[in-house]
Amino acid sequence: MMALLVLSITACNAQLKNQNTETVKIYGNCGMCKSTIEKAGNIKKQSVVDWNKETKIATILYDSLKTSKDEILKRIALAGYDSDSFLAPDDTYSNLPNCCQYERAKEVSSTMVMSTNNHSQHSNEMTEMQDENPLSAVFDNYFALKNSLVKTDGTTASTSAKNLSTALNEVKMANLSNEVHMVWMKILDNLKTDTQKISDTKETSQQRQYFNSLSKKMYDVIKISKQETPTYYQFCPMANDGKGANWLSKEETIKNPYYGSKMLSCGKTVETINK
Amino acid sequence: MKNNRFIIIILLLFIASKVSAQNIVKYELTVTDTIVNYSGKEKRAIAVNGQIPMPTLTFTEGDIAEIIVHNKLKESTSLHWHGLFLPNKEDGVPYLTQMPIEPNETFTYSFPIIQNGTHWYHSHSGLQEQIGMYGSLVLLKKKDDPTFRKGIDDLPAVPIILSEWTDIKPENVHRMLANANDWAGIKKGTTQSYSDAIKAGHFKTKLENEWKRMLAMDVSDVYYDKFLINGKNESQLSQFKAGDKVRLRVSNGGASSYFWLNYAGGKMTVVANDGNDVEPIEVDRLIIGVSETYDVVVTIPNEDIAYEFLATPEDRTGSASIYLGNGKIQLKSRMPKLNYFEGMKMMNDMMNMDGTMDDMGMDMSYQQMDMNTVMYPEISGNPKMKMDDEMDMDDKMDHSNHSMNANQDIVTLNYGMLKAPQPTTLQKDAPVRELRFELTGNMNRYVWSMDNKVLSEVDKILIKKGENVRITLYNNSMMRHPMHLHGHDFRVLNGQGEYAPMMNVIDIMPMETDTIEFEANMDGDWFFHCHILYHMMAGMNRVFSYENSKPNPYLPNKEWAYKKLQSESNKFHFMAENDFATNGNDGMVMLQNTRWSFGTEWRLGYHDEHGYETETHIGRYIGKNQWFIPFVGFDWRYREQNGEVEKNIFGQTNTKDQRAVLSLGAEYTLPMLVKLQGEIFTDGNVRFQLMREDIPISSRLRWAFMVNTDKEYMTGFKYIVTRHLGISSHYDSDMGIGFGATLNY
Ligand SMILES: [Cu+2]
Ligand SMILES: [Cu+2]
Repeated sequence: MMALLVLSITACNAQLKNQNTETVKIYGNCGMCKSTIEKAGNIKKQSVVDWNKETKIATILYDSLKTSKDEILKRIALAGYDSDSFLAPDDTYSNLPNCCQYERAKEVSSTMVMSTNNHSQHSNEMTEMQDENPLSAVFDNYFALKNSLVKTDGTTASTSAKNLSTALNEVKMANLSNEVHMVWMKILDNLKTDTQKISDTKETSQQRQYFNSLSKKMYDVIKISKQETPTYYQFCPMANDGKGANWLSKEETIKNPYYGSKMLSCGKTVETINK
Repeated sequence: MKNNRFIIIILLLFIASKVSAQNIVKYELTVTDTIVNYSGKEKRAIAVNGQIPMPTLTFTEGDIAEIIVHNKLKESTSLHWHGLFLPNKEDGVPYLTQMPIEPNETFTYSFPIIQNGTHWYHSHSGLQEQIGMYGSLVLLKKKDDPTFRKGIDDLPAVPIILSEWTDIKPENVHRMLANANDWAGIKKGTTQSYSDAIKAGHFKTKLENEWKRMLAMDVSDVYYDKFLINGKNESQLSQFKAGDKVRLRVSNGGASSYFWLNYAGGKMTVVANDGNDVEPIEVDRLIIGVSETYDVVVTIPNEDIAYEFLATPEDRTGSASIYLGNGKIQLKSRMPKLNYFEGMKMMNDMMNMDGTMDDMGMDMSYQQMDMNTVMYPEISGNPKMKMDDEMDMDDKMDHSNHSMNANQDIVTLNYGMLKAPQPTTLQKDAPVRELRFELTGNMNRYVWSMDNKVLSEVDKILIKKGENVRITLYNNSMMRHPMHLHGHDFRVLNGQGEYAPMMNVIDIMPMETDTIEFEANMDGDWFFHCHILYHMMAGMNRVFSYENSKPNPYLPNKEWAYKKLQSESNKFHFMAENDFATNGNDGMVMLQNTRWSFGTEWRLGYHDEHGYETETHIGRYIGKNQWFIPFVGFDWRYREQNGEVEKNIFGQTNTKDQRAVLSLGAEYTLPMLVKLQGEIFTDGNVRFQLMREDIPISSRLRWAFMVNTDKEYMTGFKYIVTRHLGISSHYDSDMGIGFGATLNY
């Protein structure tokens, strides 16, 4: 269903602070749906939703410090409209006016009826679902790097970072889904710099500084990528001079890459990412 | 938070380990100050082992619990094990079962675990529970327990603790409640003003409500910024897959909020209440009273969908969610806003002019007839639909066979539906001790009591070991009360005969009469109180004391300690207000507890012609409604009017230039909440005065007037801007017209 995202972002006049723009599919039918969806999504000085009833795609502008895409989509779902993150309550849906009783995604998903959509990206998406995730090499090398930091092994960490650099350069961006692609473009430069910095040194204390920002970026992309098994987003409040730092792990058990054996199990899982 | 403090906490977490060989299960709990940010503002809270809620403590029946508490706060603390049977000295009530745990002191609680079920624990010191000191307490059944239920007790279980957060310091919340400050109503949009009433077509309802001397009332009286499940407003448990059944061990650790529980994935099966098994019962929703626990089993119906478990406070001002499963989130629809004026109309019908309530012969009990249903749009339909359409209040009805919402599709749990799996009858042939309490309250002054007495006005209630105690509770107040008994479970005589369910908290709705009974089989002093924290702190408490109890080593001087306990819930509340106006200063300070009031008012002009005037009153509230307050007073005034003599309507004269007199007087609240004051002064003058402040014109606009027999009068408006600031304008016969800003605390 992710395939139904469009790439193009409508250039909107920016009136919001810390503005973020995203496009998402919101299921609906008619002009009446449009006004309900937008009314539910809009909050003054926080978010502006523009839903296109032909493409079912909404452009969402929001102040990223005040709200999030999920908050907005949740409000819209509570008004009766499904999206790819939230399903509307059944009673709210059935209370929608007749003309708004759109075909629901959750009924569609069980039978995999794809005939209703004839987007050009469609075939592309189908093959991608069967192929290996184009980012899997990136993730694998990231986890290798994390594991060497857990062991406080600067030399291996440097090597892992080099491998990660290579993997970053070899990602076939054409195979990325649109949503992932958009995020990827945003963070790629940062990923490269951080990785470079880590590979340049064998001093774990320095490597860990960059690993913090690298992990945050990696989280942005892993959050929206398809994975076989869950990834755990973990947090240690003591790291980074008491400011706290995050990392990603394939294991739920805490193995802290910022302290190694000194404080191996300091931290907690703050989010379990399943996709 | 400081770095090194965190290290200590984390180390302590590691030490909290289980020594299973001796069956002693040990936890170390370190209580520290912390800063939290639930609403966008940083506020002080209390964390235990660095976390809010406090860590979940798990024991198995037969274990010995050893819980070591390190108090790193700058104030004393305590921990109460809610719902547990334990030696009295381990019960954790400061000044009743132990001395408070002082700053930097360590205290060890140790007791055998002789029961199972879902319980919780919390601080019993002041209002600490509101700011973080609550946590789940899970007592597992032994595998070979004969009551082990396959398909229930072997399900994956998740502790769920509900709570609320307010950015206002709880001590201030309490103070504002005692001062009838309506800021919470403004924040919640529930002022129920005259203009709101007119808009809703309920002007007459509002008028009758004030005629019967009621202030706008809500199902709850605190405004909360956030509602939390396990310390978070939103969270997800993604480990569950389609077809999984999950047991949620839900405790309501909220300080004053009842929560509705709803689930997006279908019906919920209630399997236990207050830690005691009940016959499984399927419901669409249930309300969990403050401090109650319920175990519910839910199913994850479909693959790739996470289902919302939604907790909504009774006033429906927000909600908290936990999503079960992974994938797209299936939401549950939000509970629609309450029809407050329908509730007000219902209250009007049931309130007598003398402030007592009349159940109109409906024999309400055990939540079976929820009068609040008139306020629920999801059941009683749109706001315009009047209660009279469903039932004619003037006809006495036979309600013995049906509950009010029986013909609705939504199945809401009530106590009448709960049934114990085994007989729960008490020992036969034991002497029965019958007690009766009337739950009483005074909404306007936030005094909550039993039989119109607060704890500081009563002795401990003596009971004998070996007798059966049967208590009848009648709620003659306008709010529901979750009454909790420490250290015992009681049978709730809900019509299930031998299979009466066992509870340790019973929620009693207005006008309900419920009967409970328990075997007096312990020793020591046990608290019995309303678990709404602010009601408890207002004095809605009693102590059951076993005759000839053995001394408590933690509490050498029990008599002194009981006096301390009594004073804890009868504290003085301070209030101050001053209007800085163009024509002078108008203000007052007041200090009040349950019965006493010390207050001074002033009107200070900016020059001698306008004069300066103060009135001090010391009074005592009389009667359960506290409409009558006799007082002694002292008046002083000075004004330069070149000897001009003023005459009151009785022909008595005074120059007003300079006057210092004592007085004797009384104030009485008339219908429409107008205060009539009569006063006789030492110079022989007499004065009568009518006054009302805070007439709610709109959500934030208040009208005030005063007129007296000295031919003085005043009228004014105030617009409430923030909790502490209002903009005002008034006309005063002495000082003329003025505009200003009112500051209040
Ligand atoms: Cu309690
Ligand atoms: Cu208690």
